[in-house]
Amino acid sequence: MKLKNIIQGFLIVPVITLIGAGLSSVQAEEDSVLIEIQKRGVLKVGMSTFVPWAMRDKEGNLIGFEIDVATRVAEDMGVEVEFVPTQWSGIIPALLAKKFDVIIGGMSITPQRNLTVNFTRPYANSGQQMAANIELAGDKSTIEDFNQSGVTISCRRGATPCTIAQKMFPKAEIRRFDDDAQAFQEVVNGNATATISSAPKPRFWTDANPDKVFLPFADENLTKGNEAFALRKGDPDALNYFSNWILLRTDDGWLQETHDFWFKNQSAWIDMVSIDQ
Amino acid sequence: MDRNSPPPPLRKRRITYVDLVLIGLVVAMIAYAVYRVNDVLVYNWNWDRVFSFILRYDEETDRWVTNLLVQGLLTTLRLAIWSTILATIIGVIMGYWRRCNNLSLRIISRAYVELIRNIPPIVFIFIFYFFISSQIFPMIGLSNLRHDSPYMDNALFRILFGDPRLFENFIAGMICLAVFEGAYITEIVRAGIQSIGKGQWEAGRAIGLSHFNILRDVILPQAIRKILPPLAGQFITLIKDSAIVSLISIQELTFLATEVAATTTKVFETWILVGAMYFVLCYFFAYVFGKLEQRSARSNG
Repeated sequence: MKLKNIIQGFLIVPVITLIGAGLSSVQAEEDSVLIEIQKRGVLKVGMSTFVPWAMRDKEGNLIGFEIDVATRVAEDMGVEVEFVPTQWSGIIPALLAKKFDVIIGGMSITPQRNLTVNFTRPYANSGQQMAANIELAGDKSTIEDFNQSGVTISCRRGATPCTIAQKMFPKAEIRRFDDDAQAFQEVVNGNATATISSAPKPRFWTDANPDKVFLPFADENLTKGNEAFALRKGDPDALNYFSNWILLRTDDGWLQETHDFWFKNQSAWIDMVSIDQ
Repeated sequence: MDRNSPPPPLRKRRITYVDLVLIGLVVAMIAYAVYRVNDVLVYNWNWDRVFSFILRYDEETDRWVTNLLVQGLLTTLRLAIWSTILATIIGVIMGYWRRCNNLSLRIISRAYVELIRNIPPIVFIFIFYFFISSQIFPMIGLSNLRHDSPYMDNALFRILFGDPRLFENFIAGMICLAVFEGAYITEIVRAGIQSIGKGQWEAGRAIGLSHFNILRDVILPQAIRKILPPLAGQFITLIKDSAIVSLISIQELTFLATEVAATTTKVFETWILVGAMYFVLCYFFAYVFGKLEQRSARSNG
């Protein structure tokens, strides 16, 4: 049966080739992704939508803090930028599968993540912020002032803010809600003293309700996050490049300026997006 | 009553008390859901923001232009069509192998079908996606395509595959879906081939046709007629199943909807609208296929 042999041959060849390809990709000494980016002329950036880091404007285009940062990195490298919007839960596997060169996605450094990817130095420090009711908490200005019985703190169920509220304000009563907006509404209505959420949401809320709510700790966040670019392991050249890019853009104030634009005042860009206040 | 008299008319449909009670219950449930959403959830409905992601008025060109969600819908449609074509090719080959005399081919096709049918689609897609995108794509040079070459950057290419910059992304989603749905089509094809009586094979052999010729000229033409309706149903299933490739960031309707929901914070509006878009698409195809089936049934006597 000749035909059968041919068919079997057709099967065996690709299987062997696949195994070979798998082995060779393990053995091959890889060039730095920097060289690849320059050869390609395109920097591929993995990101995920999160206001105001990255979001869609009315035309459906990507805008936000991260988009500005990545565009500037590419500009400084002399290449084009290409964004690869990716589900947050799959963003690290996608980086490892080389879907893009670097994650610029507001990813905070954690020891667990650092075991699988390399982080640059941080390019932003976000964190948790508190917004409080003016009537109920107008006189409170320290953490200890809020750590009292009689103080009610609202937060979103199952998220970091609730954990932080419990840890930092053990004496206060914690009330959990299904979403941020509800938790905040409780503060506006005077049912809760304060609410905790990731910056810059509390700031935007207070901007929208200046006579009801204020930021008790002004620009101080309750916790400090360290957001950095993430790269595949085993590429010290790229790590060095991006870390130093962040160092330079931190020193000349560009990063702070861009960060302030997106995080300080929503009214500067709210017209560009179809966001709900 | 002799055999030639017309069949007795169907009993007239009357609304009974049971119907009234059931309809009343459904209305009450809907009213309760609306009440919960409006009064207990305190949710601020805002459909305009989400609608603007379907159609948007462009002030510069003074025209209505399509936005993200329509692009997503088109990608979903392209994905479904191309994956169905590819899955049908896989299905015909594997479906034939399921019934052929060669043991190793039978084992391969059986293993393929059982493997795919017995693991959840999401798990399969996660594993398969990272395998094809990290191993196969670089091997066949797909990851180094020049997106601005005249072969890719033209109108026909855009109609067939969408944005050339997303081609690799599109192909990854298409292959995942095709390999997945191929297993189900394999079974449809196998059932189709099996449904053709043994006598047809024997008759073909009796007049001296080769095995391949019997299959091509006798069995498949008959089998295809039986296969087409379930194949059409599988196409509609595939449109719905394509939503799972949003998890590997294929830029189709569901993925873009997550982006829109995250940006606008209008979660309910976005998903209700996207649900409606899927419904219209699938119902449309179900209707068209239903009509085609009726017509072919009539023409076959």
